[in-house]
Amino acid sequence: MSLTLLSRADDVLREGTGRGAEGPPARPVSWRWRLAILVVFGLAYGAAMGSYGDPPAARPLQMAYSAIKVPLLLGASFAICLPTFFVFNTLFGLRDDFPRVVAALASTQAGLTVILAALAPLTAFAYASGIDYRPAVLLNGLMFATASFGAQALLRRNYRELIAGNPLHGPMLRAWLVLYVFVGIQMGWILRPFIGEPTRPTQFFREEGWSNAYVVVMEMVWGVLLGSR
Amino acid sequence: MAIVESGGEKRSAWGRGFRELDLILRGDRTRPNALREGGLPIDPGRLSRVIVLLCVAYGFCMGTFAMFSKNGPAPAQVLASMVKVPLLFYLTLLVTLPSLYVFNALVGSRLTFGSVVRLLTATLGVNVAVLASLGPIVAFFSACTTSYPFMVLFNVAVFAVAGFLGQMFLLQTLQRLSSAQLLEEIRAEPSEEKPAAIRPPSDEFLGRHVKTIFRLWLVLFGLVGAQMGWVLRPFIGNPDVPFSWFRDRRSNFFEAVFQALHSLFS
Repeated sequence: MSLTLLSRADDVLREGTGRGAEGPPARPVSWRWRLAILVVFGLAYGAAMGSYGDPPAARPLQMAYSAIKVPLLLGASFAICLPTFFVFNTLFGLRDDFPRVVAALASTQAGLTVILAALAPLTAFAYASGIDYRPAVLLNGLMFATASFGAQALLRRNYRELIAGNPLHGPMLRAWLVLYVFVGIQMGWILRPFIGEPTRPTQFFREEGWSNAYVVVMEMVWGVLLGSR
Repeated sequence: MAIVESGGEKRSAWGRGFRELDLILRGDRTRPNALREGGLPIDPGRLSRVIVLLCVAYGFCMGTFAMFSKNGPAPAQVLASMVKVPLLFYLTLLVTLPSLYVFNALVGSRLTFGSVVRLLTATLGVNVAVLASLGPIVAFFSACTTSYPFMVLFNVAVFAVAGFLGQMFLLQTLQRLSSAQLLEEIRAEPSEEKPAAIRPPSDEFLGRHVKTIFRLWLVLFGLVGAQMGWVLRPFIGNPDVPFSWFRDRRSNFFEAVFQALHSLFS
């Protein structure tokens, strides 16, 4: 089972290159496997992310929370954005390609978690060498950014054929990214804390968590510009 | 098309309504060939049921903000939003339909009254389908936002996106209708390509009538729609003001948007 999962994860990374690990072309990955990869690898990175503390991994509850939050963040943002994307694709005459579009996007998400999971040992090592909380937050941001860049390459490869078939898929993909990032930022904001400051109690949601990331940022910018608050 | 109709007999009225909306979204109902066979082949009554249902669904998403208000949930506001969103669209259509038709006849278009009604219902269908598809995002932001001005502007933006796509559909269909009539006169065969409700603008020739009608409709429908929204407010429900079905009729939509922008940025 776990060996199959690893080989499927390998297929996700190689999708669109036309090359398998040992000669034969990579097999297309089924839905269930994509979901399984998203959940398992997401859990793995989340657990590593939540292991911050002195000594590391001293808060199993925080690890469990963080582990759940990574697949939740990706999956929920994806699900919320999908209806809009479906209607947009239909309106612009791309409905027949939609199953392939969703497959490409889902594969990218699964690939993102695989890359994240591969970076988990780096995060764990940094924690073990005793970095402070702020740098730890930044480090995780960096890991997510790296994984996103990697996933971008996957996305472009998975989309190449679609764009070749109909160039309209290009602007459509950009629209998707704007929408997904817009929702994803807010989703990440309400799912805080991902790492959990060791001095504060472990909790799934922060009590002041129900707020809007964009309003908070705007208030911060405004506060800096006015020099007050 | 005949096949679709006969195959659809067994489905329920709702199923057929959704099928109809789907065909409009796919651009199947507005293919140049289909238009040439005489007007827009849709049933406005059946389509309207689906439109109302989608409006109610969006109203629910919009009203979610009131359920998570800091002063406790306000289910009456959710109910009000669910009733008001369909009202907003249909009252606007009712108020503007006569003048839209008259202007359309004045500039020499050949659309009959029935065609205008069908065309506008189809446009409304596209508009509302986009709106409803953005519903989950609106509900998500409503649930976790406490800032009222943000929600007002967000909803305005969502309505603007839906309205923009609806108008693109209208412009394109008007253009296809007029070129279908033109082709009928010269008995030419239109080139058939893959159907799409909206194509990105190309240097396609836009008829003079089409442009005039479209601009008139856009201005009229947009202005009346925005003001109708203002008269029917509150849609979202300011948490600092107790619930009421209607607010007093002072001020107007554009002033309010400007004020929301002002309070969000200060």
